[in-house]
Amino acid sequence: MTSPDDLEARLLALGESVDVPAPPPAGVARAVRARLEALPAADRHPAPAPPSAPVRRARRAWRVLRPGGHLRRRAIVSAVAILLALFLGGTPVGRAAVTQVLRLAGVELEIGAPGPLPSGLPEPLPGERRATLEQAREQAAFPISVPAGLGEPREVRVGDGGRVVSLLWPGVRLDEYDGTLQVVFRKELGPPWPEEVPVAGASRGQWIQARHGLSYLPRGGGQAPVRPRAAGPTLIWQEGRTGLRLEGVDDLQRALEIAGSVR
Amino acid sequence: MVRDSGRELLPGASPRASPCGGISHDTAKEPPTDDDEAIARSLAGDLDAYEVLVTRYSALAHRTAAMLGAADEAEDVVQEAFVKAYRHLAGFRREAPFRPWLLRIVANETHNLTRSRGRRAELAVKLTELDPPGVEDPQDVAVDTDRRTRLLDMVRTLPEREREVVVCRYFLQLSEAETAQVLDLPVGTVKSRAFRGLKRLREEVGRDLA
Repeated sequence: MTSPDDLEARLLALGESVDVPAPPPAGVARAVRARLEALPAADRHPAPAPPSAPVRRARRAWRVLRPGGHLRRRAIVSAVAILLALFLGGTPVGRAAVTQVLRLAGVELEIGAPGPLPSGLPEPLPGERRATLEQAREQAAFPISVPAGLGEPREVRVGDGGRVVSLLWPGVRLDEYDGTLQVVFRKELGPPWPEEVPVAGASRGQWIQARHGLSYLPRGGGQAPVRPRAAGPTLIWQEGRTGLRLEGVDDLQRALEIAGSVR
Repeated sequence: MVRDSGRELLPGASPRASPCGGISHDTAKEPPTDDDEAIARSLAGDLDAYEVLVTRYSALAHRTAAMLGAADEAEDVVQEAFVKAYRHLAGFRREAPFRPWLLRIVANETHNLTRSRGRRAELAVKLTELDPPGVEDPQDVAVDTDRRTRLLDMVRTLPEREREVVVCRYFLQLSEAETAQVLDLPVGTVKSRAFRGLKRLREEVGRDLA
């Protein structure tokens, strides 16, 4: 008779005795390096966002710059402007025409011929449920921010086992998700092209003025995307590990104020 | 964690700095000794330090890609994953371990590949030809090889969701928490899929012996 521990031990031993052909590590390292060196300069360097959580601290520091900090701030602003220019030169946003793909903060933007806008009722995210903010914070593996500029959300929803947390106000929706690695949302759009905008506390953001098709790609990668729906103007940005998508604020300045007020 | 913060935050301070903030190689001659140092230097644009990380995790990354279904495209998947990891390195939480973070990118790239090909992910591995340690009688070797082959086939035929968890837990020897991170699943789901997978395997093994 096979006891549980016996099976687990056999699986471990089996794992050790399987053979996976792999090229020599040094060769892989050289190949990866060559690919990194071939990237456009603006894409080559690791994204300039702060490496981990203390986004809030960084923003506060920005506000309380010591006397004489003005010059420094100006230097930072121009450094950001140069980076933005480099980035714009190297991405579809700066060019135009043919369909191209831009990925930012867990969102894949397919920019080009957008096709007809999807119609019909929006589908909820898989397993979407109402929750309190506290419950949402417990279920999500990333920090949840609330924009002070909008006040307490009227409703909080948690979708796909805590992968996405949506905060809702009348006509406004803020989706938050782990924006570091996976594509969570896909957007298809045509002109006017998205505009790169500086979001306070974040490295960069994209403002999408056009109405566009939005689909959700469920976690795990194996399942079909949730049917596309039409989305209005949207601001996308990233705070540390969290990707954010603010939909329903039509005015860019207002959207930037809200984005800058997340706590 | 802030060991290299000076280098990391002030790339412009070096007269050798490149326009995009990378530092020249001769400011960091010694190879990094641990992941954190290698990551700090990579963040400052030091590709030599990143090569050290790639070398260190290359075999594990290939193993993961092959076992999660990349088959003969594991090499492409792994290279793509390392490029992506470098570009997203700033989003990596430095206090967390690098290994599951990297493997999650590998798993994600593997999923993207199999999804785009519209095919079922396969467990693309074979048994080593080497004699298992401690077994000397040729007949025992044959029996053991046969047992291992059958068990491997049973794992291959598990439903994909259960197989992935079994592969991570036993073949890659990841913890439940690491498996959850790599497969982007809640820990509870990892537990239940591992339980179901083992149950199914136990039934198969029982049938096999009967």
